[in-house]
Amino acid sequence: MHEDQMLVADTANRIFSEECPPEVVEQAENGIYAEELWETLNANGLLLAGVDEANGGCGGSIIDALIILREAARKAAPLPLAETFVAGQALNQLQQPMPALPITLVRGNFELSKSGLLKGDCSRVPFGRNCQSFLIAVNDANEQHKQPISLCLVDADQASIEQGKNISGEPCDRLLIKTEMTASRIFTVDRQWLNYVELLGAASRAVMMAGALEEMLQMTVNYALERRQFGKAIAKFQAIQQQLAVFAGEVAASKRAADTLLESAELNALDVAIAKARIGEASGISAEIAHQVHGAIGYTREHRLNQLTRRLWQWRDEFGNENYWQHYVAEIFLNDAAGELWQEITELKV
Amino acid sequence: MFQGMNFSPASLPPAVARLREEVRAFLAEETDWQPNSDFNAGASPAFSKRLAQRGWIGMTWPTHYGGGGKSFLERYVVTEELLAAGAPVGCHWIADRQSGPLLLKFGTEEQRHRFLPAIVAGDCFFSIGMSEPDTGSDLASIRTRAVKVDGGWCLNGSKIWTSGAHLNHYMVTLVRTAAASENRHAGLSQFIVPTRDPGVTVRGIDNLAGESDFNQVFFDDVFIADDLVVGEPGNGWAQVMSELAYERSGPERFLSAFRVLAEFVRCLQSSSDKQQRTLAGRLITHLVTLRRMSISVANMLENGEMPDTQAALIKDLGNTYERMVPELIRLQIPEQRSQALASALQECILHAPSFTLRGGTREILRGIIARGLGLR
Ligand SMILES: Cc1cc2nc3c(=O)[nH]c(=O)nc-3n(C[C@H](O)[C@H](O)[C@H](O)COP(=O)(O)OP(=O)(O)OC[C@H]3O[C@@H](n4cnc5c(N)ncnc54)[C@H](O)[C@@H]3O)c2cc1C
Repeated sequence: MHEDQMLVADTANRIFSEECPPEVVEQAENGIYAEELWETLNANGLLLAGVDEANGGCGGSIIDALIILREAARKAAPLPLAETFVAGQALNQLQQPMPALPITLVRGNFELSKSGLLKGDCSRVPFGRNCQSFLIAVNDANEQHKQPISLCLVDADQASIEQGKNISGEPCDRLLIKTEMTASRIFTVDRQWLNYVELLGAASRAVMMAGALEEMLQMTVNYALERRQFGKAIAKFQAIQQQLAVFAGEVAASKRAADTLLESAELNALDVAIAKARIGEASGISAEIAHQVHGAIGYTREHRLNQLTRRLWQWRDEFGNENYWQHYVAEIFLNDAAGELWQEITELKV
Repeated sequence: MFQGMNFSPASLPPAVARLREEVRAFLAEETDWQPNSDFNAGASPAFSKRLAQRGWIGMTWPTHYGGGGKSFLERYVVTEELLAAGAPVGCHWIADRQSGPLLLKFGTEEQRHRFLPAIVAGDCFFSIGMSEPDTGSDLASIRTRAVKVDGGWCLNGSKIWTSGAHLNHYMVTLVRTAAASENRHAGLSQFIVPTRDPGVTVRGIDNLAGESDFNQVFFDDVFIADDLVVGEPGNGWAQVMSELAYERSGPERFLSAFRVLAEFVRCLQSSSDKQQRTLAGRLITHLVTLRRMSISVANMLENGEMPDTQAALIKDLGNTYERMVPELIRLQIPEQRSQALASALQECILHAPSFTLRGGTREILRGIIARGLGLR
């Protein structure tokens, strides 16, 4: 990382460490939205990194934004940060000013009539109830074709919500919309563009999982050194050491895969795919070991471990699970006319 | 974060692109061997000689010892190309990877001049003599011993699993030169033992695939002149430990099964089966990540660091991967399987048990990683 990126990471780390203790996460999961944390992030310019100042953002690059997300994930920050990042990027690219935040990009079953009536629903919208704005991608009639897609910018008061939650314990609501759109809030984009925006979502989740994994390893090692059984710290049992070594390997690989994204000037789709798939795989393996080493206490709601493991289980499924991205990687490697696997691997930037 | 968990991204210098093309052009001319990406699976003195003529052995060593004066990253590119192509690298591999660097670090000036140019020329091959019949993971328990005699040492005992001893000229042998004491690591020394000395007997041992690669080596009153002792007598343990980062972090720790993946991918060019393709993608995500980690470590070696924990992490992750590749691919073999895939798979499954043993077992590596985590 560059020096200014380190500074971003340090600042974010300090704020999340101080302002987002486990109690804040727990409260949020009990329905008290972490408004104060959101305001602190806003005041420190950590919400809209990578969005041009001209559009109401904080400037900087999307890499800055990913660095902040990684720090947020270490502390399981219970806010729609990645959601706002993705939708904010979308609007920024469309040269639109930022609307009321938080905002999320939604792809569900939505139709837009010729007369401008937007109608439909999406059953799983993370933090739906907390969002002030929604960017709705309208289905095109013909999924297969590269037809343009309409994006509709909608205020929260144009939508209704049915509350739900996902495995992470965070809000995941049903969003219902039936509203008249004005033309100035409808944007036309092509599918490829939308894919790129969703790639930002996958990159977010990849670096967030990597951050959470590092935190979880530290936490688990500390626990193993503290917890005593049979007259000694469980860290001294070889069975525990061997499991933690496997865990460390998964974390090291995840960190390396995430660093590739943070080191590049702009996101490379293949690197995002590799990171999302590899870190997703690491998440399952690592969460299993972390819980095994923690014993029953780690299975309690009160213990902080599950704030991380539940999010890892959620994030690995969002913006494309491992299989989705593995297949994507294969398509890139296998459809290349040259067809020589080794040649293609060595052509990738290290 | 923990000591030894950092794999700072490193890029390959632009100059390596040409080097890579040169190696590929060289390999394209090579025809007289069967490819196998397991570095232990093929050995050909003639191949090693041809490689030497291109300047690709001892690449990183100073030019006044005949070396190439190149960087570790350049060497990295050559070694990964050789492995990916399945070249028979067995003869020179150990000398190039670790015996040469050992002499550069601990050898006398006279030893460097005597051995390094010969290694670089592809005329001198080395083996590693560490394991013994009663000593595997617990290396400090070795019993092969030497007693001081006039002008040198008298060596007795036996080493086992010595890869390539039947083809190679020397083995860097770990020997007890002082009685075992409270400090188990004291009193060990490294000797350069000429494998063709009349007092040395090399007896081949077939592996489970029926191939003869490793050996038991017997020492019967072998005279080792003082000038064949590496470094200080008694300093053997520290010297052996210093070789580990070279030994454990390279591409040979995750490319052993590469032929299987490459042939699988080749067969999939004409298949649209989603499960098969997804598996190929999965194995590629692991491979690319491992390669990046390994290049990070090559860069640390270039910078004179000693990334022992990182090396253990790469070897453990890489070996786990190498064992996973054939196990997963065998269940997804396309109907249009090629003969090349079938035979790569068969060879790989037969060699797979060795991946997690040689060069430090999985359990020992995980112990090293656990130490890096502060658990022991
Ligand atoms: C193909 C091949 C090539 C080789 N080439 C060479 C060579 O060129 N030169 C050379 O010197 N050696 C060579 N070896 C030997 C290799 O280094 C040893 O196999 C390795 O060090 C393990 O020793 P061992 O086989 O005696 O197993 P052991 O040490 O007896 O181990 C048996 C099992 O017990 C486990 N174990 C042992 N100690 C512990 C512990 N403290 N905690 C937990 N588990 C433990 C091991 O992990 C393993 O699973 C080669 C081996 C192979 C398979």
